[in-house]
Amino acid sequence: MNKRDIAAAAAILGAFGAGACYLGPGPERFWINWLVWTLMLLSAGLGALFLTGVEHLSGARWSVPLRRCAERVSDLVVPGSAALLAALLSLPVLYPWARPGGAPRLAPELRAAWLNVPFFSLRTAVCAGLWLLCWRILAGGSRRQDRSRDPALTLRARRWAAVYMAVLGFSLLFVAYDWIVSLEPEWYSDVIGVYLFAGAFLSGVAASSLVVARLLRAGRLPGVRFDHVYSLGAWLFAFTVFWSYIAFAQYLLMWYANLPEEVFWYKQRTQGPWQAAALALAALHFLIPFFALLPVDAKGDLPGLRRCALIVLAAQFLDLYWLIFPAVCPRPVFSWPEACFALLFMGAAALWLRRSLGRDADMPVGDPFLKDGLEFRL
Amino acid sequence: MPEARLFGVAGIFGEPCRLLEAVARLKASGWERLQAYTPYPVRGLEGALDVKRSPLAGTVLAMALAGTALAWLMQWWMNGVDYPTVVGGKDPRSWQALVPIMFEVMVLFSCLTAALGMLFLFNRLPRFGHPVLEAGLGRFTTRDKFALVVEAGAAAFDAEAARRALREAGAETLMNIPVPAPAFVGLRGLLRLAAAGGALAAAGGAGMYWLIKLWPVLPPMSHMLVQPRLDAQMSSAFFADGRGMRPPAEGSVARGRLAEALVSSRTAAGLAAPLPVTPAVLMAGRRAFERTCVVCHGPVADGTSLLTPAYGAVPANLQARKFLAYSDGMIYERILRGHNAMPGYAWALDDDRRWAVVRYLRALQRAQHAKESDLP
Repeated sequence: MNKRDIAAAAAILGAFGAGACYLGPGPERFWINWLVWTLMLLSAGLGALFLTGVEHLSGARWSVPLRRCAERVSDLVVPGSAALLAALLSLPVLYPWARPGGAPRLAPELRAAWLNVPFFSLRTAVCAGLWLLCWRILAGGSRRQDRSRDPALTLRARRWAAVYMAVLGFSLLFVAYDWIVSLEPEWYSDVIGVYLFAGAFLSGVAASSLVVARLLRAGRLPGVRFDHVYSLGAWLFAFTVFWSYIAFAQYLLMWYANLPEEVFWYKQRTQGPWQAAALALAALHFLIPFFALLPVDAKGDLPGLRRCALIVLAAQFLDLYWLIFPAVCPRPVFSWPEACFALLFMGAAALWLRRSLGRDADMPVGDPFLKDGLEFRL
Repeated sequence: MPEARLFGVAGIFGEPCRLLEAVARLKASGWERLQAYTPYPVRGLEGALDVKRSPLAGTVLAMALAGTALAWLMQWWMNGVDYPTVVGGKDPRSWQALVPIMFEVMVLFSCLTAALGMLFLFNRLPRFGHPVLEAGLGRFTTRDKFALVVEAGAAAFDAEAARRALREAGAETLMNIPVPAPAFVGLRGLLRLAAAGGALAAAGGAGMYWLIKLWPVLPPMSHMLVQPRLDAQMSSAFFADGRGMRPPAEGSVARGRLAEALVSSRTAAGLAAPLPVTPAVLMAGRRAFERTCVVCHGPVADGTSLLTPAYGAVPANLQARKFLAYSDGMIYERILRGHNAMPGYAWALDDDRRWAVVRYLRALQRAQHAKESDLP
């Protein structure tokens, strides 16, 4: 039984468990798990695509040998988008504004203009369509270049990278407001889109680092050295601090202002049964990766970077769990439905990534800057 | 031509990787005392040269943590212990509010430690010269070249062998680095430099002080001084009658003036003196009488005093039968309000003194009309 079979077995077992969850504990538990894991897939995929895009846009050379790893992680956008479209079925189950008579304190104008099922679905569909389009051009174009060696594709990717920056900025804002904030529509936050982006980019970099570590150990990335790994570690380090800054700034402002319509959300998540989750989030998302990556050599140390990447991915899951679950669960739950969903989505993602890893070259061999990238030194 | 005493020999390289290879080669062939000069930090060079890891990073981390802790302690003590202030209904010892300052002090401590520590602690500045700089190697190594210097040290130094080794290791150019002439700046020079620096700093400070004092560019903080307010006797356009000082509202009584407000000539007769007849009260009454009343009414209150002929006034003879028949309250009311030519003395005597004067006057009257039974 090889690793592929284990992943497949986990996914199948998880799928049965998820089905049982729908019938047993109920659709609410099913859809809340589905939502968290869908956003987890999208975080890694969209974040990795952002890594690709920002490097195209800035003309970075160091990252060219590692770009295919990020492009492979960005393939998760496809199942993630599909899962998000499927999650539209959850609207009447999870979202009070979508139920007749739900969220009575919500202004009727807001409901008419923004929070109604047709417009909500349209926004989600447009976002998913734009992600897939950008994924196709950035990640797909790079693979086409492997065969055609056409430098025009690099220029095209650079232009589309700019488009993707804007698309990602707005779409993550919509995802944050629509799919996360509107679970408790009385709450509002100006910075939640940036917060979600920071977490998504972190998990994109972390997942790409895992792929890089795996391929490097298998000897599939010849010429990739400490210098490249160090730069990837520097991304992870920098955005650990960025996420923490955004997260704490929002918490501090809402704690200070103490407005009832803002602070109930934090009160629910930082006091009482959810307090442990908030403390774990601070440790996993900031303290541990920050101090682990602080020394110069740690950023380029492959096993250490791999451990940090795993911690950051766990932190992103915990973050989504902590953002979403308290809307329906007064205290943290982690039982067999959650475990089954973890098996289902992690198994499926592993299968999807294995499929990507089995195709195409391990580096963008058609990119005219690949030689420059391999010669990169700090 | 005899060669000047050499500090060392420099080989100049065009690429950082050439430099790294050269370091490895020279190390392998047994050369000690190697030193590299590069325009930017070259990765791997410290390892190749066996340079000990600088303690600066650890020092900065320690100072950063110390700064964070200090900032927390300072705020916790000031806001939470020494002068607890509740802001916005928060616990004065809440840690959340302390985080921004903790962060800032952490940055301050780290930056100062990094900059000053790098310059003075670990690079041992001030240093007034170095053979490598005197020889002009900096022209290359601060731009686009990488230099490896084989230093002569104290032992016998074969410059020719060093040059050969560097050339074989791929140096583009070689350069001799002579030991410069004895340093111009000695201890006295250092003292002069310190004195000059101190004088400059003092002159700068004094100059700033007088500049600001003589030509105040910025007004001093005056936002408490300059504000719309009414001083005594000032007019005001705000009120319709133009008076800045406002009369008290109708029917209001100033603090301590309740007795005056309540007493009238009709109610006065029924007032009873609140003070007992004691020597202390009588002495207080006597003091007040002598200060205020004697001038006109005379020492025994019979209306004769030195002033009366001079002014042609006729003060009341308080020993007259009419006044003997007055009740205490009626005398009190006259002190308060005055009568005929006599003004009221409410402003001069507080309530206790008025009643003490009444008691003393009664004593004077009794003394002037003493009966035999009054004798002890």
